[in-house]
Amino acid sequence: MSKPNTDGGTTVNRTERPLGLPKWVAALLPILLLGLIAGGFFAATPFASLDTGGEPLPDVTVTHTTLPNDETVVVHVTNNGPNEVTISQVLVAEAYWNFDVQGAGGDNTLAPRESAQVVVPYHWNPGWDLEVALMLSDGSTVHHTIVAPSQSPGLTGDLLLTMAVIGLFVGVIPVALGMLWFPFLQSMSDRWLHAILAFSAGILAFLAIDAGFEAFELGEQVPGAFEGTALVALGIIGALLAVQSVSAWRKGRAAAGDSRAQSGLWIAYLVALGIGLHNLAEGLAIGSSFALGRVSLGAFLVIGFMLHNVTEGPAVVAPVARGERPSIAHFIGLGVLAGAPVILGGWLGSLAFSPTLGAFFLAVGVGAILQVIWELRGMISRNGQAASALNLVTFLVGLVVMYVTDLFVAL
Amino acid sequence: MPSLDYSRAAELTDKLEHSLVDSLGEDFKTTRRAVLGGVGLAGSAALTGIGRGSDDHGGSGGDSHGNFGAVGEYRDVDFDPHEYLYQFNTGRGEQENVPQRKYKENGRTVREFEFRAVDTTISIAPGIEFPAWAYNGQVPGPTIRAVEGDLIRVKFENLGRHAHTIHPHLRNLNPEMDGIPQNGPGVLNTGESFTYEWIAQPAGSHFYHCHSLPLKEHIHRGLYGAIIIDPDPERVAEQPEEYCNFHRSQITEQLRTELVAEAKSRNHEYQENDAINEMVMVMNGFDTNFDGDNEVYAANTRAFAYGVGQTDGSGNWKAGETKRPIQLDKTKRHRVYLVNAIEFDPINSFHTHSQFFDYYDHGTTLTPTLQTVDTVMQCQAQRGIIELDYSNHDPGLYMFHAHQSEFAELGWMSFFEVV
Repeated sequence: MSKPNTDGGTTVNRTERPLGLPKWVAALLPILLLGLIAGGFFAATPFASLDTGGEPLPDVTVTHTTLPNDETVVVHVTNNGPNEVTISQVLVAEAYWNFDVQGAGGDNTLAPRESAQVVVPYHWNPGWDLEVALMLSDGSTVHHTIVAPSQSPGLTGDLLLTMAVIGLFVGVIPVALGMLWFPFLQSMSDRWLHAILAFSAGILAFLAIDAGFEAFELGEQVPGAFEGTALVALGIIGALLAVQSVSAWRKGRAAAGDSRAQSGLWIAYLVALGIGLHNLAEGLAIGSSFALGRVSLGAFLVIGFMLHNVTEGPAVVAPVARGERPSIAHFIGLGVLAGAPVILGGWLGSLAFSPTLGAFFLAVGVGAILQVIWELRGMISRNGQAASALNLVTFLVGLVVMYVTDLFVAL
Repeated sequence: MPSLDYSRAAELTDKLEHSLVDSLGEDFKTTRRAVLGGVGLAGSAALTGIGRGSDDHGGSGGDSHGNFGAVGEYRDVDFDPHEYLYQFNTGRGEQENVPQRKYKENGRTVREFEFRAVDTTISIAPGIEFPAWAYNGQVPGPTIRAVEGDLIRVKFENLGRHAHTIHPHLRNLNPEMDGIPQNGPGVLNTGESFTYEWIAQPAGSHFYHCHSLPLKEHIHRGLYGAIIIDPDPERVAEQPEEYCNFHRSQITEQLRTELVAEAKSRNHEYQENDAINEMVMVMNGFDTNFDGDNEVYAANTRAFAYGVGQTDGSGNWKAGETKRPIQLDKTKRHRVYLVNAIEFDPINSFHTHSQFFDYYDHGTTLTPTLQTVDTVMQCQAQRGIIELDYSNHDPGLYMFHAHQSEFAELGWMSFFEVV
């Protein structure tokens, strides 16, 4: 092995630094110079001549609203603009109404990127759309319509328990049911097992597409200052690379002769992790629909996701269908990893829902899923041909099955 | 500039509170306590109260349904709608920011005023600043008052960024003085000036505004005000048929005497006028986000300025520092010169609670055009005179507002306090 500081024979002495500066000075010098230049820009204001004196428009986003009881409306707002804004008046259904701004340091002024809640005592009617407008000090208005208002549940033990039970039924139980196909999968030939793996890749691919679009859609509701689209892209790529690095680490271990790292169990856990992250986002969707008072939507999501998640079971266990049957503890572990995040997501969604959080979790799920698909492809192609006719068909079937079960969610 | 005197406001608040306590007598405390625990008062608060519930409610009682009304007080004290109510410029130097004089020229009384159009910022609701264009820095512009037949001379200088004019709603015989882009001096660009001369006729409650284009914006930004032309009793005695709905042949001596008496009560130069409490109300609105729809409605610019500061909806109320009812002496007769300067809405209205009044459309007649009504409607630029009598009423709050509920809830909601 050649040393890093040689180019194959000729030794180059790279320790020499100009003027004999210590190493840390050499490291800091560019940063220092950059600081000076940036400071110079601020001090010299070279763009002053381009400044037409136009005031940037106030940019305030209503991220969401909560209705803790039938005589209170809470509007969650974020100031996206570069200047502070003052909420001077609040209009409810085109009438001046009293209000209280909470979480902005005791006044009605929001610093850039600051968020606050505008609490309005207003006796709203369930199911009747309510229009709220915030009037800023310069007279500009921020409108928000609360569609079909209904009460949002507060933080209670009941709610946490309900969400846990829902999560159990939506996440853990369907995945466990799906995993009962394991003995059947074990009895299959390699060819058909690969087909099943391709089927689960199809399922995952659909989830990635579905959640990806949803993430970008939700990203549009993210306050402008947080760059929703970029955040979603970051979540996808970040999760993809994070899971990929775990996988690469496993491969390194396997290459080094770690037998456990060679087994399909790792891939099964990766699949479970990817599905788990996706299910976390499902939980967020359910929890937030309850939090936003959309109980009927929440109920639909529960039924839809339940049907949907049964198909995730075989996807989790297919990688371990060859070789030794893992212990029951592993099955439980896989099931919990894939299904239980629904519970966590439900709690997060119902207690601290924000489009920013929701979009980011969805994006993370998408990234993880994409990596898992890549992993499954590698697993198939190790013992056979990934792009066989059968595999492609089952992959497509996986997509279609998901599409069909997704209709239940979309209903 | 008229300015709001806080100590005066505080004094008035104090006086109002004391008169209220006196009127409630010993029951005051118990009533109040009963109210604080009350549940059913929310509805009555919503019906009768504006402004916030009293502080010691702590979110219960009246606050459970919330209260409508603008939150907070006006911090900008450059303009006081209470002062504006009674501020007439007759050429005697009534208003500091309106240079003016009165003199004779060829036997005719001349009332001369200096107007300047400026760009400024005005408070239209607590905490809401509106970029206005204004005559002499105030919205509505200064009220001009003259007697029928006088010459009104307005030396107008445009100091705003845009071109402006002054167009009077008067019977104006010289087209060059009409204040429109197509006639006379046309629009006056920044720095230009022109002297408008108008004969004060006919008697009535009138209106002036900028007629530059785009018209909607030049008016709604604040370039408008009231012109009041007092009838000349001598002319009324000679040509009474011009001031009522009767033919000359139908005029009896008694009617003639009555018309002359009414004319004297309308004419600020006659003693008879002193007995009457005269007020100017310009109904206006402001489109704060430029979407072609008003976010603020008011009488005299400031939303809820003639409202109460706080109320619990059971008769216990407080005047605010800048938001307080208009006090009326019940022994007097009250006259409102009403002008509709609204933009973006075709009509506006004026409605009194617990009271009916006589209405003189455009104020050009000395006999009412509508008798015993509690609501009048005015289209854009329509105006009139309302005559009110509260002598039979108990002291207390009497609401008046636009009876377009939307306008009322967006600021055009006011109270008289009869004392």
